[in-house]
Amino acid sequence: MNLNIIFNRDWHEEFAKRMEDDGPWTKWELYNLALEAEKNLSIPEFLGLQAPDHLPQLTFLPHQLEVAKTVIEKMNGKAILADEVGLGKTIEAGLILKEYMIRGLAKKVLILVPASLVLQWTGELNQKFFIPAVAQKKSYVWEQCDVVVSSIDTAKRQPHRDIVLNQDYDIIVIDEAHKLKNKNTKNYEFVQRLKKKFCLLLTATPVQNRVEEIFNLVSLLKPGHLGNQENFDKDFRNDRHSLKNEEKLKQLVNKVMVRNRREDTGLKWPKRLVKTIPITLSESERDLYNSISDLKDLPAFNRSKFSILTLQREVCSSREACFLTLKNMLQKDAGNIATEHTILPLMKKIENVTQNSKAQQTLELIQSINGKVIIFTEYRATQLYLQWFLQQHGISSVPFRGGFKRSKKDYMTYLFKNHAQVLIATEAGGEGINLQFCQHIINYDLPWNPMRIEQRIGRIHRIGQKGDVHIYNFATQGTIEERILNLLYNKINLFESVIGELDEILAKFELKNIESYISDIMLNSESEGEIKVKMDNLAALINLDGGIKKKGWEEHAAARDSSLS
Amino acid sequence: MQQHEIHRFLERYFESNDCVIEQKNHSYMKIQLTVELDKLLMNRPFYWHYLEKTGGTPNPMALTLVTGQQHPPEGNGEFIHFGSPRLHQIFASTKKLGSFIRMYEAIRQDPGKNIPLNPWLCVNLKTSYQCDRKKDIISSYGIHLITGRIVSNFHDQLRGLPLTRKIPDFCYTLSAFIRPMSGLKRVEAIVEQQITEDDHSWAEDAENRWREDEELLDRFYEDEIEKPEYYQVEKEALRTQYEPKITVDIINGGLFYLSDSFLSQAFN
Repeated sequence: MNLNIIFNRDWHEEFAKRMEDDGPWTKWELYNLALEAEKNLSIPEFLGLQAPDHLPQLTFLPHQLEVAKTVIEKMNGKAILADEVGLGKTIEAGLILKEYMIRGLAKKVLILVPASLVLQWTGELNQKFFIPAVAQKKSYVWEQCDVVVSSIDTAKRQPHRDIVLNQDYDIIVIDEAHKLKNKNTKNYEFVQRLKKKFCLLLTATPVQNRVEEIFNLVSLLKPGHLGNQENFDKDFRNDRHSLKNEEKLKQLVNKVMVRNRREDTGLKWPKRLVKTIPITLSESERDLYNSISDLKDLPAFNRSKFSILTLQREVCSSREACFLTLKNMLQKDAGNIATEHTILPLMKKIENVTQNSKAQQTLELIQSINGKVIIFTEYRATQLYLQWFLQQHGISSVPFRGGFKRSKKDYMTYLFKNHAQVLIATEAGGEGINLQFCQHIINYDLPWNPMRIEQRIGRIHRIGQKGDVHIYNFATQGTIEERILNLLYNKINLFESVIGELDEILAKFELKNIESYISDIMLNSESEGEIKVKMDNLAALINLDGGIKKKGWEEHAAARDSSLS
Repeated sequence: MQQHEIHRFLERYFESNDCVIEQKNHSYMKIQLTVELDKLLMNRPFYWHYLEKTGGTPNPMALTLVTGQQHPPEGNGEFIHFGSPRLHQIFASTKKLGSFIRMYEAIRQDPGKNIPLNPWLCVNLKTSYQCDRKKDIISSYGIHLITGRIVSNFHDQLRGLPLTRKIPDFCYTLSAFIRPMSGLKRVEAIVEQQITEDDHSWAEDAENRWREDEELLDRFYEDEIEKPEYYQVEKEALRTQYEPKITVDIINGGLFYLSDSFLSQAFN
């Protein structure tokens, strides 16, 4: 065969010059070191992975090494990485990237991720993989830096767009690639135009609902792999939602997609030990709760029934949270005498509340636990109050909010790990915050979106958790809180199970906003019986489709995040 | 590369660059850098620029490197492993520092008897086979600049010899008949021949993969009479991904003046 051999002759020139100048000549030892260095860096075989030797401080799971080998050796570096969440897709991407860089097959790399993950990816590539990735901040970065991390929204906008489309990339990595399933979007068109040798598309939800979505994603990666639109339709499409020749399509897709399920990896989840702790309201708290519930019958509140629900839930959390909402209502409706007449007495009742029964219970629980505890609450006012309250009893805690900058989140995590017993969080903390050194979670109050509960638990119930995970759910007796717990969450085994595919299930039934759906049931049902029936239906829907009861929780995917471990 | 090999490599590196190793045990070392190595490794051009402008006293940094479990008593060292950027920086610097050499065989000889030394040109090479995969082959050739004979694995043969940077007493060098530059050409010819004789199924396989992908691409756009711009972009990308190519780089090399006894040994 015709071989294309290139001799690099830069050395010759310099050598000629040294001969003419009679030196300088190196020492024998340095000469040997240079050769040894090159021997150590050389790649002995076409196949196999070099990267693990370069990353001795990282322990790769067997399936992650297998994915990297498959992608490089069988898929020629173009693949959809679709492991279930929590199995380390980003580790796999980093490993593949590193392998290509070590082999000298990749130098210019573009990594497109959601804006909120840019710094995280940059940090992890640098710290874990020693890949000098740079977060795109200035437009010169595109051309001058070899490994750039950016959001797709930035990259596709001018003036960046033209520069980016002009680069010859060796590898492009796209996180959350399922967002590229529609080929009529600007993002899709942009990615299609990028010049790329190798390409990794990361997604936890390989599109399955719509036929054309998988076609679009694969065509981005490897145009023609599923044929063109016309013969794809002919071969595989039955109608908008269903397929024919499914087995053949699956085979084709599996040539460009790797998907590990937890059950295949043999990884064991830590156990979840769930305990519901009933809270009895004090007399003054009960009085406040009842007065708020009575608002429902006032004609003035006909249109704002939703805020009654909010208030009810807030009373179950803390009087501070409730007070803040009342105050806002008052300000919004300033001058309205009717409003003042209803709200001012409620505020008076808040003043009468002298203790927080839930906080008291929290304190006792924390004191009985020998270890770190995370408290999740829905309300900032409660968060502040709890921090003060625990402080009064000699327990130090750190706050955590979604709005914190990445660096502050990391610092708070550090403080929690090393200096405080308790972390009080208002939300799951977003992607990539790993708190697996903690084994106790208190659900101080409950969000009405099961997905968010899963996210909370997923912070500590994940790979790397050494012990069992204890989950404490507070249920204020005789309130809306207890009802939600009994009506829905206990029925879908929410706390015991890992409902990895819940968001897919909800999306499928167009139940994207489950929170307002539940509110709607609570508000617009005529009777207790109707509420129960509707909630049962919802639970049945989730159970049926998730197959949770049937399969058992070990088979399901884990915490919803795209962190590296 | 194992940790103890890295440790030994670093020791040799700093010693041969005339750095003082102030502290060391099996697990760490503290090195006082020379000005030259500070410039090469510490990445502070502004300091050195400033110093040159103002004529101040240079103050090169000290470096503490850790390769084992045990840390130095005071201060934290930098942990060095096979993937650490520092080691790769040091690897890269050896290429700058150790590329060109001239050595003489250190012959002990009775005074009064003059010994001729034969000129050899040695090059160590890295040959890379590259498509969407890659493999490197390191080789070493020496060419006798009088007869033109070429010896492979030359570096390994040199390693057994006592060598010195200055011509030993009572030795003289024979003149080369072949200019070193033509010597390099002859070595290239040999390398090319060796490559041609090698198994290149890897390249055929790559071309097959390339063809397959290209056929898919063509099929994807077969109905479009006027192909969009990214059809060409994709096609070109497939070429850069799969096209087999072979590159040959010289790692280092130089002139070696060796005795007749080496000559007769090498040709046996």
